[in-house]
Amino acid sequence: MKKLLITGLMLCFWSAQSQDYYVYVAAESEDEVALIKFDGKEAKVEETITVGTWPAEIEGPHGINVSPDGKYWYLSLAHGNPYGTLYKYSTETNEVVGTVKLGLFPASLQISKSTGLLYCVNFDLHGDMKPSTVSVVDPEDMIEIDRIETGVMPHGSRISPDGKFHYSVAMMSGELYEINTTTLSVNRTLQLDGVDLTTIETPEEKGYQSSYEYAKGAPKNYMYHSPIKPTWVIPHPSDEKVYVAGNGSDEILEVDLPEWKVTGRMPTGKAPYNVDISPNGQYMVVTYKGAQETGVWNLKKGKEVARVKNTRRIPHGVSISSDSKYAFVSVEGIGGEPGTMDVIELKSAKKVTSVDMGKQAGGIIFWKMEG
Amino acid sequence: MKKLNLLLFLLIAVATYAQAQEYSIKVSDTPVQMKIGETAQLEAAVVDADGNVVPDREFIFYSRNDKEITIERNTGKITALKHGEYNVTVRSPVENGKPLRTTIAVSIAPTAISRIEIGEAPANIYAGVTTPLDVRVIDEAGFERPEVVVDMSSSNTDVARMGPFFKLMAKSAGKTTVTAKVDQVMTKVELTVVENPIVTMELSADMTEGRSGDVFTLTAIAKDKDGNEVTDAPIIYSFTGESYDVSSAPSGLITQEGKFVADEPGLYVVSAVCGTAGASVTLSANNRNVSRKIDLVGRGSVGDKHTSDLWIWEGQDDRDYAVTGTWGADGKAYFWDVTDPASITRIDSVQVDARTVNDVKISEDGTVCIISREGASSRKNGIVIIDVTNPRDVSVITEFTENLTGGVHNLFIYKDHVYALSAGRKYYSINIEDPSQPKIVGEFELNTPGHSIHDVWIHDGIAYSSNWEDGVQLVDVGNGIAGGSPSNPVQFAEYAYPSGSNHAAFPYKDEKTGKFYVIMGDEEFPYGLDPTGKKPSRAAGFLHIIDFTDLENPKEVAWFKVPFAGSHNYWIEDDILYAAFYNAGVRVVDLSGELLGDLNRQGREMAWIVPEDPEGYVPNAPFTWGAQPHKGHIFYSDWNSGLWSAKLRPVLPENTKVETK
Repeated sequence: MKKLLITGLMLCFWSAQSQDYYVYVAAESEDEVALIKFDGKEAKVEETITVGTWPAEIEGPHGINVSPDGKYWYLSLAHGNPYGTLYKYSTETNEVVGTVKLGLFPASLQISKSTGLLYCVNFDLHGDMKPSTVSVVDPEDMIEIDRIETGVMPHGSRISPDGKFHYSVAMMSGELYEINTTTLSVNRTLQLDGVDLTTIETPEEKGYQSSYEYAKGAPKNYMYHSPIKPTWVIPHPSDEKVYVAGNGSDEILEVDLPEWKVTGRMPTGKAPYNVDISPNGQYMVVTYKGAQETGVWNLKKGKEVARVKNTRRIPHGVSISSDSKYAFVSVEGIGGEPGTMDVIELKSAKKVTSVDMGKQAGGIIFWKMEG
Repeated sequence: MKKLNLLLFLLIAVATYAQAQEYSIKVSDTPVQMKIGETAQLEAAVVDADGNVVPDREFIFYSRNDKEITIERNTGKITALKHGEYNVTVRSPVENGKPLRTTIAVSIAPTAISRIEIGEAPANIYAGVTTPLDVRVIDEAGFERPEVVVDMSSSNTDVARMGPFFKLMAKSAGKTTVTAKVDQVMTKVELTVVENPIVTMELSADMTEGRSGDVFTLTAIAKDKDGNEVTDAPIIYSFTGESYDVSSAPSGLITQEGKFVADEPGLYVVSAVCGTAGASVTLSANNRNVSRKIDLVGRGSVGDKHTSDLWIWEGQDDRDYAVTGTWGADGKAYFWDVTDPASITRIDSVQVDARTVNDVKISEDGTVCIISREGASSRKNGIVIIDVTNPRDVSVITEFTENLTGGVHNLFIYKDHVYALSAGRKYYSINIEDPSQPKIVGEFELNTPGHSIHDVWIHDGIAYSSNWEDGVQLVDVGNGIAGGSPSNPVQFAEYAYPSGSNHAAFPYKDEKTGKFYVIMGDEEFPYGLDPTGKKPSRAAGFLHIIDFTDLENPKEVAWFKVPFAGSHNYWIEDDILYAAFYNAGVRVVDLSGELLGDLNRQGREMAWIVPEDPEGYVPNAPFTWGAQPHKGHIFYSDWNSGLWSAKLRPVLPENTKVETK
């Protein structure tokens, strides 16, 4: 019994010492995805996967996620003619196994563990100021089965831990949407600025052919631009709350789901962009796009415990390991600079290491632990 | 107590998980049989391992064939819209484990054939002439049914009989009833075959001797026994021939409008036939002999990043300059002195917040440069306007991002206006009479579903935009042909081809023939990316020559293809096309005279040169972006190696052989 215990302890010790972490990171201005391995000390690009089909056009890999069973990763390519494309890759081979056209500038995406369907927001970043959609995709057949209309420029999105509800935020209309993943319909909408958007007429309602035509004959601020400018939303792993990045108001908004209202506002660094919460619910990590910093929060205390300087300018995405130990942060860089992935140890709230990759590192997702 | 709770939790978790694993969706084993218009309720139930139905489950129903079946997402109520065999997928959400999913086969029976339509036949069907009939089978649901075999017959086979593919073969004068029959449905048409009045055929050509690629215009006159012309004679043109080269086969193209062009030098017999009357002429197509030696003259290397487009111009000081963009890099554009094409010298550069400067253009007076931005860190791309009055000391005048934040892929400058693409959807006209104060004055956007745009080129007040599936759009932005202006762009002509690959367009008027063409270029990468990510992909696609002489009826008349390569940007000057073909470098093509058929097979390619550089950004990997002639030289940019110059050697005496590379 004693020997067994010692062996067990040794195994645990060995296991803890030799843990490897794997992360996929998209390089938006390189049309590449880097598979990065972090061994607890150093991070290294294990493989670079070129993505897309047009060598002379930047197709802009943006949103990335891994299927719940870890067998596939999914990637949205934002640019097309004009529609973007969702790609499905095998994690075993990193080869494409399926594609499907979605809407304009598809961005963040995730598979519901409840329905098994994939939900991807159509960001339509550069389109007219009108409501866009969330595409619903069968990730096995790779067919788009529905589009659910939401707000103007929906960007960040994540699904509740039970897989029953999809949350997304519309950057320009300042709205939080809750979609029932089974009925494929909008359950609730929360205008985060407290504005009644129905009083703002669209170009179409004004009788204009386009927003530009509308702009020519309209007052200066002719279309609604949310001052909060929400760019990301993440449900808490166990509490009935979601957290929203107020990119325009430099704050994290806590939204109570049963009450469906903002119940907390936490001031942040400049331009919070992406947010992740550790699986144990202890940490919240926020990228501050305008500050070259990433904030590490103790969520129970509702307090920022540290701001970690990122290696380069424009931190973008964040994904936390399943053991709640590390946050992996993508950093875009500027111009010809490489993209970078920073690794932050959450307990010490310190940057452990970083690794360069293709330009404009953006979409990021933790895949697995091994060892 | 804590231990007990944990144990209990684990037991429940394991039980729930095990239970979830045993669940499945039960549906009918046999396809649901439906008729068009019918509604049916699809049945699905979640059952456990023993087959017991698990109550209160929710479902999601859908199909990839949602244009053929309407489906209520959560109830499974479907309506059949079109015949065929389909699958409906049904899912049921789970608390744990793998999501439940299965498919239900749905078979929608075709409706009975309701009618057969036979299109109008010519007023006079002449004996001895084969006439195609237009036959369409329509079912009761209104769907055309091309797969249904139609039994065609003629009541009087001495007058006419039916051949395969709905061809009516008229034999002698008289009446016959043609019957098209499917099961019990039939359609009859009464046809009258008249005596063929044509007893003689006269055929002439506008020349008896020409070159491969030259278009021979044929004139066929069918006459009756009194020598009168029969104007409605259905004349069929054809040709045979023999090549002057025993190692080549004769080939060419003849149109039913009476145009013949030979690909291969040879002696050709061209015939015009109507019934038993026919005539032939013999034509000689000699070697086109336009090949010319091309020499590499100089280069301005860019080995540390990709190079994009180029523009060459004469500066205010009468010297010659070039600007090149960069791609997927650090937002730089380079300025070069190319006065001596053998000694290209980099003289200045600008760096803007971008990763790609895809396009560069210079104003007519050589003082203003505009460059496009993509990949700006602020995600506000737009354009940058640069003072190039002194190309050795260029300076940014201003940037302009209004309505252009999504990225400007291509742009053009014309008479104090910039035409800039916005996010691949439309283009704006921007007044830059004061370059420091750009102002949007107009826009052009299609309203077709899923429209997109890749390029815009302005010539003589007409904007030629390349719009992928929507083809080329000719828009008056100041020419006056349709009353347009920069602030009021007016579309007046268009042409699209089925591949949907239209990436560039360049107008070309042949002064000798009076023909007005628009050369439309593809961009295609059907073979995917290089798996190693190190070499450029192999491009495909080619140049389509569209005869726009009749603006309301443009017609695709010719093509220029390069095997195993694909087209990109190009220029036309003095009846010569200078085309960048990515992996295959620059191709120089003789466009003189009327254009018809496959220009490359006709020997119209005059020269080619491929930029290969062992010290390129990707070594020895030509990927030529664009070409522009300037003062007797050809300048071209290459994605992996920068700026190059070359020169065609003078025209040699006729029939002089040139050893090509």
